[in-house]
Amino acid sequence: MISRTQRILFWAIVWFSIVILSVPTLIVVGASLTAGNIISFPPEGLSLKWYGEIAMARDLRGAFGRSIIVSLICLAVSVPVGTLAGLALTRFRLRFTNAIQVYLLLPFTIPLIGSGIGMMLVFGSWRILGNVWPVGVALAAINIPFIIWSVSSSAASLDGDLELAAANCGAGRVETFLHVTLPGVMPGVITGGLLMFVLAMTEFLVSLLLTDARTVTLPVQIYNNIRSIITPDLAAVSSVFVVIALFAVWLLDRLVGLEIFLKSK
Amino acid sequence: MTSKHTRRGVLRAGMATSGAALLSAMPAGRLLAQEPEKPSEIIVRAWGGEWVDALKAGVSDPFTEMTGIAVRHDLTEDNEIQPKVWAAVAQGRVPPIHINWDTTTNATKSALRGVTEDLSDLSNLANTTELAKPVGLDGYPLINTYGYVYVLAYRPEAFPDGPPTSWRDLLDPRFKGRIALYNDGIGFHFPAQVAGGGSLDDIPDNMEPCWNFVREIKEQNPLLGEDPDFTTWFQNDEIDAACTISTNALGAKRNGVELAWTVPEEGCKFDTDCLWIPKNLPENELYWAKQYINLALSQESQQVWLDGLGLPGVVPGLTPPAGLENDPSYPTKPEDFEHLIRISSAVQVQNESDWFARFKEIMQG
Amino acid sequence: MDALEAALDMIWPRRLARYSGWAMIAPAILLVGILVLGLVQIAEGSLHTLDRSTFLPSEEYTLANYQTIIDSTTYWRVLWRSLLGAGLTVFFTLLLALPYSYIMVRTSSATIRKSLLVVLFLPFFIGQVVRAYGILIVLGTSGAVNDVLGLFGVEPLRLLFNFPAVVFGLVQYMLPFSVLLLAPALTAIPRETETAASSLGANWLQSFWHVVIPMAKPGLVGAGLVVGTLSLTDFAMPAMLGGGSQDFIANAIYDQFFRTADQGLGAALALLLVALGSVIAGVVIAIFGAGTLGMGGRK
Repeated sequence: MISRTQRILFWAIVWFSIVILSVPTLIVVGASLTAGNIISFPPEGLSLKWYGEIAMARDLRGAFGRSIIVSLICLAVSVPVGTLAGLALTRFRLRFTNAIQVYLLLPFTIPLIGSGIGMMLVFGSWRILGNVWPVGVALAAINIPFIIWSVSSSAASLDGDLELAAANCGAGRVETFLHVTLPGVMPGVITGGLLMFVLAMTEFLVSLLLTDARTVTLPVQIYNNIRSIITPDLAAVSSVFVVIALFAVWLLDRLVGLEIFLKSK
Repeated sequence: MTSKHTRRGVLRAGMATSGAALLSAMPAGRLLAQEPEKPSEIIVRAWGGEWVDALKAGVSDPFTEMTGIAVRHDLTEDNEIQPKVWAAVAQGRVPPIHINWDTTTNATKSALRGVTEDLSDLSNLANTTELAKPVGLDGYPLINTYGYVYVLAYRPEAFPDGPPTSWRDLLDPRFKGRIALYNDGIGFHFPAQVAGGGSLDDIPDNMEPCWNFVREIKEQNPLLGEDPDFTTWFQNDEIDAACTISTNALGAKRNGVELAWTVPEEGCKFDTDCLWIPKNLPENELYWAKQYINLALSQESQQVWLDGLGLPGVVPGLTPPAGLENDPSYPTKPEDFEHLIRISSAVQVQNESDWFARFKEIMQG
Repeated sequence: MDALEAALDMIWPRRLARYSGWAMIAPAILLVGILVLGLVQIAEGSLHTLDRSTFLPSEEYTLANYQTIIDSTTYWRVLWRSLLGAGLTVFFTLLLALPYSYIMVRTSSATIRKSLLVVLFLPFFIGQVVRAYGILIVLGTSGAVNDVLGLFGVEPLRLLFNFPAVVFGLVQYMLPFSVLLLAPALTAIPRETETAASSLGANWLQSFWHVVIPMAKPGLVGAGLVVGTLSLTDFAMPAMLGGGSQDFIANAIYDQFFRTADQGLGAALALLLVALGSVIAGVVIAIFGAGTLGMGGRK
């Protein structure tokens, strides 16, 4: 069905994409196994000593724990907010839609440094800086368009008649929402939620401005380490992330099936 | 605005004198009996890697041993902590750190803004050299703790005929794309002024010679970066020479990168780093933060801390680390300073933005 | 369930139904409102110049910072570079993402589909900075690519620290986002439509151009908006792969806030960038619709 030239051309592009997406990751994982003191590839001799280093580092573990908390808070804020907004944009005819779209894109059009400085001043005047939870809220704010788009792209193809039918059969509004609307957009909610979580786990610039030494999160810690001499422990931390990622993807596949990211209905 | 300033000045002066009187009038035993409540920890901003390791060994660990107060190191960059501290003081909040280990130029901005505590009453100041005193500021809103040189670091194999003797040697075509400078040009402006045929006395009024030389260097497509970039670039064989702080070169060398450094005939910039305490700390935490800095000025602490950094301190009688005796990056005697260029922080902070803009204008072209 | 229905009837009676859309979007508007409050603070700051004898903002309000930007050739150059960089990134990212999502959606093999998804997800988990570091190693003068070129007798090339390197880094960073945005749009295109087109004698290029791309438009526009706005305001890639001479606006803002302590000038630059990004997004949305970012209203 797909013609020969198309197949060759497309697969060439796909392979190119696979290479540029994977090679830097593989290099970093490979470099983490070095026995030497500097990040290099190929590594100078194999050893797991840098994994020993990071397992011993108490500050890294503390930062990792806080990052998990921050990401969960980001998730708790962004999933309901983003789902409702995604549905509102697709299921209702709102006035000034274009203006709202531009407004909701502000998290992407404001440079992260601007968002960070701005929220530092706002949170500072509210006297909530120094806590961990505002960082989660802030990360929800700067990445919210991601979950809005993923929910609205699922919702756009949701059949509105189904909701009407449910209502006609006497289902209440909550029931219709929980049993018809929400399952319909679930792929979008899961994609968006995963993105929000992962992006919160890796964001460093805004987090840097909203944390202090007692509330520092993992990406900030990594970023600060990079600013001095770069040692392979950093590569080891990243490799741990890759392993966690593989596990998360495997788990997701077992639970809901990876195809969920491709579905639009 | 003016009246507010004067009042703050008066308050600061008053506090300083009463503090100093307190310290000198009371015998040490009495003072300890009355010391304010100890916080469970104090936070010191520091640079990571070799830098924080040295500080920990020389000052933080001994401080914890003496007082029982834990020391937490905040590894946020000095540039990046600055707006955080400024915002905290402006909003009347407790700042995120107790002590800032900072470049003197950066710290001078904070001092001028009035966000630093006066440190004139520290007892160990009596034992320090002239270098500890900030130039062009009243009292001790910050205390310099050591000096350092922006050396010309180079890969010996790229210079088979011996070390470069002039900054102009970098104009050799074989170094095209193989040299690196700080991305704001810091450390390079003053030697460039000389290399461009100008005079240091003309800084800041006539820096045309400096800009002419920067334009010549631009033709060489230099890489521009920060401390960690230089290490990475030397490591990955991207560059042959860089204008950088000697400690970074030393750090890279200790990590196995083949490096040497020199002070060319035009000279190198000499500058200092310092410690200071932001305003708005609770009274007792301020007291203990001051004790930390006081300890950092003791001879024992300076010896260990600066051994790690390979830099000359501000108390007399320190022993240079092995291999750095008579090294140009470790100036101690007056003749060592002949080729080093020191410009007051006041002049630097007043003009830095303009120099920066000028440098960017040439380099971003 | 009944209790929930009753509770909903209490707090949001059915007669308010025509405002339901607004009620549902309100939380998002409030959340983004935090950023807007920050923006207001920044806007205030941009109206004061820095007094270099006290390092405090000036008392009086002034537009001097904006004047400085307008008069500066450096900022115009940096602005142009950011725009060009963002434009090229959008183009190349979509060029790669479209076939990638197409193959991923259309392949009949579940293994291939899953593998392509895994390849997409893994880079997400290591942040932008570490990824850029990986690129530094691969493309370095003594890196893997130059090693391969060396086998063919090519002298080591300087592949990094120039404008193309920054664009490459951005494309690498944005590719997973745009595939995830495009895939649902492509899934929605019935396979039969394409079959019909080819049975009418269209070759694959024609059917792709006239059938697939128009039907994938919402996804393309959505992905383009996301990639464009994110790369226009990016900081890390130009900083790490540009070698210091390829600044984007975000780097210039960083310098003013963190290096020269001139927060007013930094604030003015930030506001101009927000205005520029919003105008571009507004124009795109007005012309093409918002794409998958919301398809505007029940028909």
